[in-house]
Amino acid sequence: MAVAMAGALPADAASDRRDVSRSRAVRRFKWVILAPLLLMLFSLLTPVLLLQLYFSFHQWTVYLSSWWNADFVGFDIFGSVLTDPRFGWALLRSLIFAGGSTIGCFVFGFLLAYLIYRPFRGQALYYALFILPMLTVPIVIAYSAQMLLDRNGPLNDILSMLTGHEIRVLWLSDPNIALPTVTLLDIWNWTPFSFIIMLAGLASLPKEPVEAAQILGASSWRIFWEVQLPLLRPVILLALVLRFLDAMGAFPIIWALLQGGPGTATETLGIYIYITTWQDFNVSLGAAQSYVTMVMMVVIVLVGIRLLRKEKRSFDSMYAKPRETGAA
Amino acid sequence: MTRQPMPRRRVLQGGLGLAALGATPLGNSALAADEGDSIVAAAKGIGKTDLKAIMWSNYFVPMKPPMEEFQKATGIGITSIKDLSTPTIPQAAMAEALTRSGDFDLIHLGSEMIPSLVSAGYLEPLDEYMQKANYKMNAVGDYGKLPTYDGKTYGIITDGNIFVQQIRKDLMENADNQKKFEDKFSKPLAWPQNWDDEFRLMKFFHDPDKGIYGSGNLRSRGFGYVWFLMYLYSFGGFPFDPDMKPTVDTDAGKQAIEIYLRDKEVAFPDSPSWGTSQMIPHIAAGDVAACQYWGGLIKLCENPAKSKTAGKWLYGLVPGGEANGKPLWRAAGMPVAVLVVNRNSPRKAAAAYMACWLGTEKASVQMVSDRVNTFHDAWTRPEMTDLRVAEAYSPEGVKAIKANLEVASPNIYLTGNQEFVDVLDKNLGQGYVGQLKAAEVLKNIDEDFAKVVKRIGTAKLKQDYKTYAAIMPTATKPA
Repeated sequence: MAVAMAGALPADAASDRRDVSRSRAVRRFKWVILAPLLLMLFSLLTPVLLLQLYFSFHQWTVYLSSWWNADFVGFDIFGSVLTDPRFGWALLRSLIFAGGSTIGCFVFGFLLAYLIYRPFRGQALYYALFILPMLTVPIVIAYSAQMLLDRNGPLNDILSMLTGHEIRVLWLSDPNIALPTVTLLDIWNWTPFSFIIMLAGLASLPKEPVEAAQILGASSWRIFWEVQLPLLRPVILLALVLRFLDAMGAFPIIWALLQGGPGTATETLGIYIYITTWQDFNVSLGAAQSYVTMVMMVVIVLVGIRLLRKEKRSFDSMYAKPRETGAA
Repeated sequence: MTRQPMPRRRVLQGGLGLAALGATPLGNSALAADEGDSIVAAAKGIGKTDLKAIMWSNYFVPMKPPMEEFQKATGIGITSIKDLSTPTIPQAAMAEALTRSGDFDLIHLGSEMIPSLVSAGYLEPLDEYMQKANYKMNAVGDYGKLPTYDGKTYGIITDGNIFVQQIRKDLMENADNQKKFEDKFSKPLAWPQNWDDEFRLMKFFHDPDKGIYGSGNLRSRGFGYVWFLMYLYSFGGFPFDPDMKPTVDTDAGKQAIEIYLRDKEVAFPDSPSWGTSQMIPHIAAGDVAACQYWGGLIKLCENPAKSKTAGKWLYGLVPGGEANGKPLWRAAGMPVAVLVVNRNSPRKAAAAYMACWLGTEKASVQMVSDRVNTFHDAWTRPEMTDLRVAEAYSPEGVKAIKANLEVASPNIYLTGNQEFVDVLDKNLGQGYVGQLKAAEVLKNIDEDFAKVVKRIGTAKLKQDYKTYAAIMPTATKPA
């Protein structure tokens, strides 16, 4: 036995060395692949971020001085962003808009994906149809919506016809309705994004758990609720986080349709930062607003990543355990 | 030689004859030839120059024929434009100014951007070129002062944007309406002299069930503030005092905001979100009883091919307010679309002469009487008697434009114009949809204005104030 062990030791050591060398090679390969990308990212991103940071700490009045002569004002501009009620309202509107859009896109996207994820004849056609809204230019959506949503426009006419009552909703002019209206337009525009992600998620689900559940006699609803949905959790989370981040920065449809009005009903963060920076030319305030927004987004991303990792770990452990048990 | 006294009748006849000659295309061409020749002479030594401009193609298309004529004579032409809509040009211009770029030679924009662009060191004063070319902007009233800053001219007008009051003639001249109005208000149905008269009239005609809305005035972001400023000026108000303390929350401001907000009673329910592109079709379709609108709309309304209401409008002076117990008329003259020259451009002299050429009477008449591309509006004195212009706008339309040009009032003419406008836009918009009360709107405007003044600098803006006050019309009412 001792001989056998003595014989096994060099083999194990060789195997360990191979593992170490392999993992080093993998690490090296990763860096070789990543380095140019990281370099490009930093060389493009860093100057912008630094310039933004410079403007956030220096009050630059664009008409009167060069940017390098701007007055250093410390955290004053950040202070004015954080105490600006207009920024607070814009943030709230953005959260409502992004939250509504994310949920809407997810619900419809998932529903559509679930309807067509199993192969069938003509699936490609449905797929193409469902992603069409995402391929439409936002400005075209805005101008089409302007015509469709007019008080005497086709949408109200159709609703009147269907209900038998005269319906004249002010989709774009009523300050209480304008934000939900642009949220609905955003949902229409971006549902395909959630659809594509969910379709990929559904298509990549392992078949075994579903088949096992079917053999055990589970209903379709229970299979969906207790097998497919838990397995899809990381994909769902990814779809929600990406859509939410994108919706927080929404701009073209809202700007083309309403420029933040009526009143300030649709003045979201994107609109307000644009007005501050490019309409008012208050570059310093715009930079500080952008920084504050970016920090919030980073927090959201970090929370998202943390949740994704957690999901991945639980997913991995779910699959690892039966294998270990099997090996035992 | 015995001097014969000239009979008075003869003098009058002669005067009329000259006026008639002035009103013919032949007469205008003869006058314009001299002016044009001196510009060509001044520009000829420069040689072939390809100019680049930032301009909306809607404005550029009618500029092309006179521009090509200048190109033929001097070799100087606008050969490339960056096609941006007028509302987005200030951003592009400011970006050019910040980068000190010499890329574009000419920019066509609203004159209210002049103080900001001059402060940013981007604009070339044009007086020297105008002098060398023997060119003068022959504008009606004080309208020619609008593109000046600190005593210098920085822009050549190409589009005389001015508000004109228009009221449906068929409604006004209807005997039944006249009787009903007189019975109701104990006064005849007549042209509104003040804002209360106008509101009474709009209310009288407002009948949404019949598809008639009293008012076609705009109240959305980017537009509504123009009306508010006009109301404010007409009550002797001004947004600031000479020390740049905001003065909107005053008696004049209170009257202005009341007029601004009460329009809702007679407006389209969609008015909080409607801009020109939504409102114009309704005006031309006859859904509106009265409004103040830019003079260019007359060309559309009087064009039977494009309008259901050709011949059905009365045009005239906008209603007036009252200051120091006396009536005061102020028509919104904004945005005055002008050509400005980039001082960093190596081709600035050529650009300046091109701008002068396009501002000549001959070129301007061609541009403003274009009935297809209707973006340029009449603004020069000779245009007011030109038959081609009268044909495009109708004689009554031209008369109305002239009267309003004489009391044309500017946009906020200060460095940082866009910031001040944003303050007005936001607070007026909130007031109009009921998010703020009238008193809060005025208070907020003053508070927000004060913040902008503090940021840009009181000393700098006090200097600008002098120009702003100086370009206000001197006449209290048209001659």
